[in-house]
Amino acid sequence: MSPRDGDPPEHHTQVGRPEAQLPATQQPSVEIAAGGRNQLRSKQAKTGGWLWFAGCLVCAVVIASPLAVVIASLLHDSGGAWQHLVETRLSSYALNTAILVTGVCALSLALGVVPAWFVARFDFPGRPVLAWALVLPLAVPSYVAAYAVTDLLQFSGPIQTSLRSLTGWTAGEYWFPSARSLGGAIVILASTLYPYVYIASRIAFGGQCAAMSEAGRTLGLSSNGVLIRIALPLARPAIAAATMLVAMETIADFGAVEYCAVDTLTTGVYRAWFGLDSQVAAAQLSTLIVAIAVCLVAVEAVLRRRQRHYNTTSRCARDYRSTIAGWRGVALCAVCVLPVSLGFVIPVSRLVYLTREMPDPEGLGLVLRYGQNSLLLAVASGSIAAGVALVVVCAHRIRRQRASYIAKLVCRFGYALPGPVIAIGVLMLAASIDRWTHSAWRSVDGPLPTHQLGRTLTDLLFAYQSRFSGIAIGIIDGSMRSIGRSLDDSARSLGLSATGVVLRIHAPLVRRALLGGALLVFVDVVKELPATLMLRPFNFDTLAVRVYQLASEERLGEAATAALAIIAVGILPMVLVSREIDRGR
Amino acid sequence: MSDHSIQPGLVVRDVSFAYPGGLPVLNRVSLRVAGGEVGAVMGGSGSGKTTLLRLIAGLERPASGRIEIDDLPVCTDRICLKPDHRGVGLVFQEHAVFPHLSVSQNVGFALRKRSSSDRLVSVRRLLSRFQLSDFEDSMPHQLSGGQLQRVAIARALASNPRVMLLDEPFSSLDEDLRESLANMLFPILRERGTATVLVTHDGDDARRFANSLTRLDSRAEPRGADS
Repeated sequence: MSPRDGDPPEHHTQVGRPEAQLPATQQPSVEIAAGGRNQLRSKQAKTGGWLWFAGCLVCAVVIASPLAVVIASLLHDSGGAWQHLVETRLSSYALNTAILVTGVCALSLALGVVPAWFVARFDFPGRPVLAWALVLPLAVPSYVAAYAVTDLLQFSGPIQTSLRSLTGWTAGEYWFPSARSLGGAIVILASTLYPYVYIASRIAFGGQCAAMSEAGRTLGLSSNGVLIRIALPLARPAIAAATMLVAMETIADFGAVEYCAVDTLTTGVYRAWFGLDSQVAAAQLSTLIVAIAVCLVAVEAVLRRRQRHYNTTSRCARDYRSTIAGWRGVALCAVCVLPVSLGFVIPVSRLVYLTREMPDPEGLGLVLRYGQNSLLLAVASGSIAAGVALVVVCAHRIRRQRASYIAKLVCRFGYALPGPVIAIGVLMLAASIDRWTHSAWRSVDGPLPTHQLGRTLTDLLFAYQSRFSGIAIGIIDGSMRSIGRSLDDSARSLGLSATGVVLRIHAPLVRRALLGGALLVFVDVVKELPATLMLRPFNFDTLAVRVYQLASEERLGEAATAALAIIAVGILPMVLVSREIDRGR
Repeated sequence: MSDHSIQPGLVVRDVSFAYPGGLPVLNRVSLRVAGGEVGAVMGGSGSGKTTLLRLIAGLERPASGRIEIDDLPVCTDRICLKPDHRGVGLVFQEHAVFPHLSVSQNVGFALRKRSSSDRLVSVRRLLSRFQLSDFEDSMPHQLSGGQLQRVAIARALASNPRVMLLDEPFSSLDEDLRESLANMLFPILRERGTATVLVTHDGDDARRFANSLTRLDSRAEPRGADS
């Protein structure tokens, strides 16, 4: 075959260009100096690497120790309490938990995936605001949403009161959905947890190559066909992994299900401890939750690994957004407004109303005092978690050993566990250490040490690290993966030790992830309820505890001020997260 | 070749295009490729080569001009058929193989309305022609760049398109691979009488594989077909 005409012109391109030369006289001295430093630094590098590795192992052992204590409880005798649980409540705990998790995951998928598709692929009225507003429900703790929604829907609430005054009905003459039910708990939890699915879906849809959908179109697919046969299957691992997170959060939830009067495995742990007064039965029930969490974490890890294979094109243009105007644009807007209203606008507006009508009797000063306690714990936990995450992630980056990988996994696992499980582990560990130190002191006839552990701030910070440092590790690990290994090699070849590489290369490059990880731990600690409730020192209440105490006495109006303060703390990070996603797209 | 040159094929007449709010990308571009022939399109970065393919495929709508395939208008000032109604195959520079489907599922993607046995026969025939039989059940992440590009080409050929659009299909392949892939692809296209547009940066590729050449310049000056 030969072209008929139009032969392209001959191109005479210069293939290479002369490299810049250093003056010859400078070269030897540079080499000698660098060689001397390199020899010295190679010794430091080995030591530095081991230090990071040892630090990583210590972090893993410390973080996992409450979990180990919980699992070890299987060997103890609960004095009949466990048998009692099995015979009476365990099946209903398990069934309720299964229904709750299934319902919350299904509803979260519907509330998260559909708006994510609209926001990622279309421009419609209100999209710029909705894109970040859809993340806001993450700032609302599920127990706060439960209090607000229950107040709104209860018999004396505004909706039923208006209904009765409009229709003339009286109590018992009509049916009205109750928030304090399994169904209510599903809706409340899904409306605050769907942003996990929304964020994952939006990133997945936004990151898909335009070529994928265009290939689908040229291979005979309609626009809807592209969504169903290409975009959704490509996003499926990310969406499924996010759904696993929702499942973990649902199993771990205590405040909302407790208020909605739904008995789950997690509330069962709390009751076994305080109702049956059996630490061992509570711990044994916790091992059941640990087993479920192990399965969820394993599934999530497999899905994330599969996600890596779902991008075979290294360079690609992102899919562009089509403009949808008119009534179709308004319809898209309405679909996106629904989840934000359920998870944020309705609870927050109710709380604002309640704050104005029935402010906290102890005044803003007291709320500030609780807030101060919350902030103290949150700042300390966020900072420690960022440090722990840096050590764990960098240790694996430097050493790349199976042990460091397992240590990283162990550290991340705590996030899958409910607060009461961690709290029980910490308390049992504290009691064991107490017993051991007392017997050790007795054996040397020394004075008995004062009680150091058990319901102290140290315990609380320890529990928060066990529970939340996995979040910071996940974020920093993700950011670290985007840094090419050639940077490490290049820095090492330029004479930096392992510690030098971490401090001068890794830390500056992942500083935003460090800040983001610390920020998310900060918000989670402010919202955390069950572990704080079980481990807080005497007379040391946080905003979350204050809200719980007032709400459990049905003083919802008074709880609203502290609840709003918790939400306010959580809003800023959520907006930052959303902006980051938009920037990534 | 002369037999094919009389077959109807692809006609692009005075097509202009600009992205919203941007400078014109194409200004009255014309192109004619007969069935069974290959028309090369060359031009610098930003000259609109890929955009021209997207217009022919129906992924963008031209501001003006006319596109015909086998004497049937697929896009005029009044009507513009959607991509799924044009019978056009498009091979992307970055191959765009669906990562969630196996090799055989990718190749058989456009044949999903056929019976499974019929589809399997067609897919296996194509896999054999492109030396992919051993990878029938492999997933895309298990394949090399050259194998992925063969999968993308086999997938585009499966539906027997009337026009084949190749967007720098050999740019990421070494000399041996591009030669062997071209030797697999172009005989099939000639055999089927498919009008092919080959976008390339490489003058050698244009000289070796194409019957005609259209050059686009980046200032969107009016250009006629060189062929």
